[in-house]
Amino acid sequence: MIVFDEVTFSYGSRTVLKNISFSIEASEKVAILGGSGEGKTTVLKLVLGLLRPDSGKVLIEGEDITEKGEDELREFRIKFSIVFQEGALFDSLSVKENVAFGLREYTRMSEQEIDEKVRALLQRVGMEDSLDLMPEELSGGMQRRVAVMRSLAAFEPEMFLYDEPTGGLDPVNADIVYNLIAELSGEGRGFVMVTHEVLSATRASERFLFLQEGRLIFDGNKEKLFDLDVPEVQLSVGQWKECLGL
Amino acid sequence: MLHYSRFVNVHELIMTTTVRAKELISDLQDFYSLSFRGLLGAVRRPFYLRDTIEQMDYAGPGSLAIILLVSLFIGMALSLQLSAELSRVGLKMYTGKVVGTSIIREIGPVLTALVFAGRVGSGIASELGSMILGHQVDTLRTFGVDPVRKLVTPRILGAVVMLPALTVLGDAVSLLGAYFMAVVVGRQSGAFYWSSTLETLNFENVFAGTIKPFIFGYIIACICCYMGLSTKGGAIGLRKTTTKAVVLSFIMIIVCDFALTRILLIVFGYNP
Repeated sequence: MIVFDEVTFSYGSRTVLKNISFSIEASEKVAILGGSGEGKTTVLKLVLGLLRPDSGKVLIEGEDITEKGEDELREFRIKFSIVFQEGALFDSLSVKENVAFGLREYTRMSEQEIDEKVRALLQRVGMEDSLDLMPEELSGGMQRRVAVMRSLAAFEPEMFLYDEPTGGLDPVNADIVYNLIAELSGEGRGFVMVTHEVLSATRASERFLFLQEGRLIFDGNKEKLFDLDVPEVQLSVGQWKECLGL
Repeated sequence: MLHYSRFVNVHELIMTTTVRAKELISDLQDFYSLSFRGLLGAVRRPFYLRDTIEQMDYAGPGSLAIILLVSLFIGMALSLQLSAELSRVGLKMYTGKVVGTSIIREIGPVLTALVFAGRVGSGIASELGSMILGHQVDTLRTFGVDPVRKLVTPRILGAVVMLPALTVLGDAVSLLGAYFMAVVVGRQSGAFYWSSTLETLNFENVFAGTIKPFIFGYIIACICCYMGLSTKGGAIGLRKTTTKAVVLSFIMIIVCDFALTRILLIVFGYNP
């Protein structure tokens, strides 16, 4: 579904991705790992055509999206459901209005139908009582749950994209979010998650890509990942072993 | 060695200047494109009526109190100062006419626009900047919503509709403040003062005073939207773009006021 072919991308004079190539199927559960500023979020933005690469191609279902205009990109973007870091809820809208956003933009549903659909979606994540709350009144975990439901409301995405889904969350909320990710991917839809939390990523993902200094230095499964000799991975493995008393 | 080092410095200077010039041209291109597309959004579907009304409410009624307050005191100060100066040369009876012309043609539109840029412009830049940093604009794009039509067009309409209305109200309060100072405090003839003020409300002055706010409103909204949507670099970046948006708006209001004054004087047949 997603193919990166020799993609290079720079922010001004700083090159964050250097000739990156990989392909991901729609049903795969992939985590893109790496330290801060290694271009993980950039990968997600390139997938959605929010950024254009300096060189190389980004193919979605075999079509190169790098030269497409905003209107043409819409049909590709709705194949994905993205949850940005911290949810990216519209802070001028209530929880209900956030979830109803896509429904109001793209459907001709009546107010009653919208209300029913929004309630059903929020019930799924245990937030049916938070309809009228504003985003600033929600915890980080709640914001991300609302963001997931917002992205599901209007479209039927083929794949989920998560940007640091549990970044900054306490263990309880992180657990809730991971359960939601697992539940949604259990419906046969894969995901691409970008995170710097190696151990958390191994809870839900099956394939791992590791970005370092703009290059893809690893592409493999969990067992091989733990052998990867980079500080981010080895520190996480060390913490894990310490917890288990190994 | 010295010659070589000078050569390297000159070369570096040329390279840096070239890069800066390219960046400036690219920024200007983006700014004009945003300004044009923002205006075009007013006549092309989809229309975001609810967002436009919200923006009008924020820009208009939200700014009314501060603009009326500032206008009142400026009118009073202007009246005091001019009646003092004019009485020295025996022309105190012209205070109403001079104050009226100054307020309607120049001070009213410029002052209201400056206050508007400070209050509404900074709000626009910081709101859009915070939406950029919080990935809300990216989210809009992933929903297939054009951020220019959804965010920029309603703000342009809000400013273009509300700034002229605020200017007219501000002018009225300024004239009342000036009347109060001249007649009640300065003991000038109320009837004469008022009739000389009303003389200034001719087509030429009213046209010149009301065309400016439309243009100022458009300029303020475009600059502040562009700056807000170009925000990079967290809280510091947001502070920089907000400051830049307000400072640039102030400069452009003053520069455009001069240009418009010149053009309008030529249009109305005064060509010194």
